[in-house]
Amino acid sequence: MNYLEAKSAPAREDRLKANIAFGGTLRDIKGCLKKGCFGSEGCLNLAGRRFSQTQGCQFTLSLAILNTLRNAVIIMHAPIGCGICSISNVGVNKTFKQLRDPQSEGIIWLSTNLDEADVISGGEKKLREAVLYADKEFRPETIIIANGCVPSLIGDDIDSILADLQTQTAASLVPIHCEGFKTKVMATAYDAVYHGILKNYVKKPERREYIAEPDLEKIKEKYRISRHVNVLNVGSMSRADELELQRLLNALGLTVTFIPCYAEPEDFEYSLESSLNVSICGTHDDYFVEHIKAKYGIPFLIDTIPIGRKNTDRWILKIAEHFGLEKEAQRLIQEENRELDKSLEPFRQKLAGKTAFIAGGEVRILATAEILQDLGIKVLGFKAHHFDQFVEPIFDSLEDLDDAIVDVATNQPFEQANILKRLKPDLLVTHVGGNNIAAKQGVPILPLFGPSYNYLGYSGVFEVARRLNRVARNGQFNKKLAENVPLPFKQEWYEKDPFTYIKQQDAV
Amino acid sequence: MSKFIDRPRYTCALGGALATLRAIPRAIPIIHASAGCGHNLHNAINAGAGYLGGGYCGGLSLPSSNVVERDIVFGGEARLREQIASTLEIVDGDIYLVLTGCMVEMIGDDLDAVVSEFLDYDKPVLPVHTPSFRGSSYTGYELVLSALIHKFVRKQRQKTPLSVNILGIVPAQDVFWQGNLKEIKRLLEKLGLKVNTLFGEGEDLESIRNSGAASLNIVVSDIHGIQAARKYEEIHDIPYITTGLPIGAVGTEAFLRQVAQALSIDPAVTERVIAEEKAVYYNYLERLADLYNDIDLQRYAVVVGDANYAPAVTRFISDELGWVPELVVITDLVEDNDKEVLLKRFENYESGLHPVVRFDTDASSVKKYLTEIWPANHNDKYFDSFGPTVLIGSVYERDLAQQYGFPLLTVSFPVTNRIVLNHAYAGFNGALSLTEDLFGLLVAAR
Repeated sequence: MNYLEAKSAPAREDRLKANIAFGGTLRDIKGCLKKGCFGSEGCLNLAGRRFSQTQGCQFTLSLAILNTLRNAVIIMHAPIGCGICSISNVGVNKTFKQLRDPQSEGIIWLSTNLDEADVISGGEKKLREAVLYADKEFRPETIIIANGCVPSLIGDDIDSILADLQTQTAASLVPIHCEGFKTKVMATAYDAVYHGILKNYVKKPERREYIAEPDLEKIKEKYRISRHVNVLNVGSMSRADELELQRLLNALGLTVTFIPCYAEPEDFEYSLESSLNVSICGTHDDYFVEHIKAKYGIPFLIDTIPIGRKNTDRWILKIAEHFGLEKEAQRLIQEENRELDKSLEPFRQKLAGKTAFIAGGEVRILATAEILQDLGIKVLGFKAHHFDQFVEPIFDSLEDLDDAIVDVATNQPFEQANILKRLKPDLLVTHVGGNNIAAKQGVPILPLFGPSYNYLGYSGVFEVARRLNRVARNGQFNKKLAENVPLPFKQEWYEKDPFTYIKQQDAV
Repeated sequence: MSKFIDRPRYTCALGGALATLRAIPRAIPIIHASAGCGHNLHNAINAGAGYLGGGYCGGLSLPSSNVVERDIVFGGEARLREQIASTLEIVDGDIYLVLTGCMVEMIGDDLDAVVSEFLDYDKPVLPVHTPSFRGSSYTGYELVLSALIHKFVRKQRQKTPLSVNILGIVPAQDVFWQGNLKEIKRLLEKLGLKVNTLFGEGEDLESIRNSGAASLNIVVSDIHGIQAARKYEEIHDIPYITTGLPIGAVGTEAFLRQVAQALSIDPAVTERVIAEEKAVYYNYLERLADLYNDIDLQRYAVVVGDANYAPAVTRFISDELGWVPELVVITDLVEDNDKEVLLKRFENYESGLHPVVRFDTDASSVKKYLTEIWPANHNDKYFDSFGPTVLIGSVYERDLAQQYGFPLLTVSFPVTNRIVLNHAYAGFNGALSLTEDLFGLLVAAR
């Protein structure tokens, strides 16, 4: 893979043939994957909707990562509204950064505030002023310039402007081209951000060299690298998740660096002194690890996400295989499972037999289904933001789910509302955002992720079980809402097939 | 010529339009824009307005055409037509407003033509051009109101005597909009007026449709809602007055007298209402007589806020709480002639104080002004320091508050560290809440 000569990353509907609109069962999806419907010749690739609801774009999702980078100021090169969603992040962002470095600042961003005059005459002047102000005022290590749709359409040559400005600023300037209209697949954001990171942050670190080269130091250095992995974290992970994964890898004698979220710029340089890049979610990371492999020869592992016992077992084993540590890994897995299994018993007794629906990112929802199955909960269906090849490894961890409903939809709460009315699950495990609709259907909800809770690894299974049990104990809040607050959809909608508005032809 | 903004305290025209529609029951926005616009703006409005929530059909339920590159190249009108038709099939509303984002405006999609194809639908479908580059949330509020005033509000030549509409309190952008409107309505009703706040408790789409019958529009702002008021004047022949946001006895008395005068209400009635309200108000406020004086709860203050709150809050803390406001930063985008109007609000303080007033949109500027108005201590043994001080601002001021050790009360958008339901700061009751919240900061550790 090498897209780095290009200005920006390609859209995922082109690169991965990802799909955002599909309705059927898990059996259908598996069939489609086999037949290649999601593949390069895929019939589902360009599907869309006749009715759609707002869904986030690659700009907003890019900010989810960019906002976490430390010692950076973000310039949103766009009209005033673009990226204003960072308001929702102002407080928590600082707290989470300070879990990694107590000295960290919160998010600082500038909007170039493009107005009607700029739309006609170009936004270059304001961009220049904003960059120079950011450099002088905040003295950050890097200034990240994320551009919205408007500069792209008026043809601001951002890369050239920044190349010129780079000679005047102390901070290094990092363009991220993430205009929302360029892709239907929100997850293209990960590629857009990694594209900027790969081009601007990743380079061999400048280390002091020995005048004489003592062998011992060289051997020590080589050994250190041979036992070091980078784990690619995601914005939805918590510090507790990181500590759990670190605990498991340390138990195998491996050391860990977490990138990209909450990383310092120089962390990306040192990340090259590593022997394996471990993804926890292919949807996030394939663009990055493929490029690193091609350019720096560091191998990578993209397999399952360590959510649920079997997925965590598998994730650990796959890493261990790379280092020839299978025996140690098996011992660790056995011991961890023994302890965890026992701890889950009281929750199984309370939750077994309940039904659930799970909505969110494709990899995460299927892996979370494993936890629910482990607790004896029957999973009735899924809603996935999009679908592509990265879910395949997780199918192995699931039992008897072929009849579960799968709705591929980035948000689109109207489809979910219709489906839930039919399925009537006892519990929802859902991505943040669309829950004001789901809540009014009266079902208790556990968020699919949360940056202050543990979901990953073995401890994550226990935490999810414990919290699900609590959520299931009292669903009065949503129940009362459902009794008193109407949903916005007409009665006729619930009588239609939930996938009525999906259209197959969307190609040019 | 506008400039870049360090952490804007408002969303865009589309955001303001969405927030305004959020406040009208069963009004359904249909966004014609890129997929992320609605989601992005909802995240800002929800969190910034003390967790306003998506409401009936907001948040991620917002119908949106989600145009992509292909639509931008070939035009998005076909997609818009399809989206309007399907929205009318699925979403149960009483009025549908089609709002535009930047891209479709730049490529020249003919919004009005496409929307006019739905004239026959049994509920109104109206176009509003709201690209982000047209302005901030306040612009969006004016644009939506203008569209409604122009195309939806019923023309009534016969005006209802003593009936008024309230403008200038922008939903979400005024985080306490709903509570504030409720209190203003309560007070004006005591004067014998029929009050239409357009949004909030007791109002619905019919209120807006009937707003053409008012005999006066009261714009509770020096700069926001004025375009809407002018539109009412032009199309519905309703005159308007502008007032400050009434907070506290001083502000609210002036407000009530101004309204009463404009409507020629018997001064005896007005004075009786004021006397009644003040009696209740001082009955509560008097409780603080002990503690305030026992432990010296006078404070210096810095006020950072929008053009409605900053003057109102500053006068209240100066002339009623007896505090010493030294610096005020007004964070809205304000035209030069409006600046003069706003500056007048800081004149003739009963306390005799003259706080320094600055107009600045940048979050990083507040600290600079602070160092300007009060010199730093250069190791002097005896130094008249700037303290104890309370900072009244938005959540953006938290870092500054922590750095200086000032307690912070967040009042102005964005307010992400509070849950706001029916809390209000306007009027007599609002001022009591503001007093509770400010002094609450000071006794939190007791």
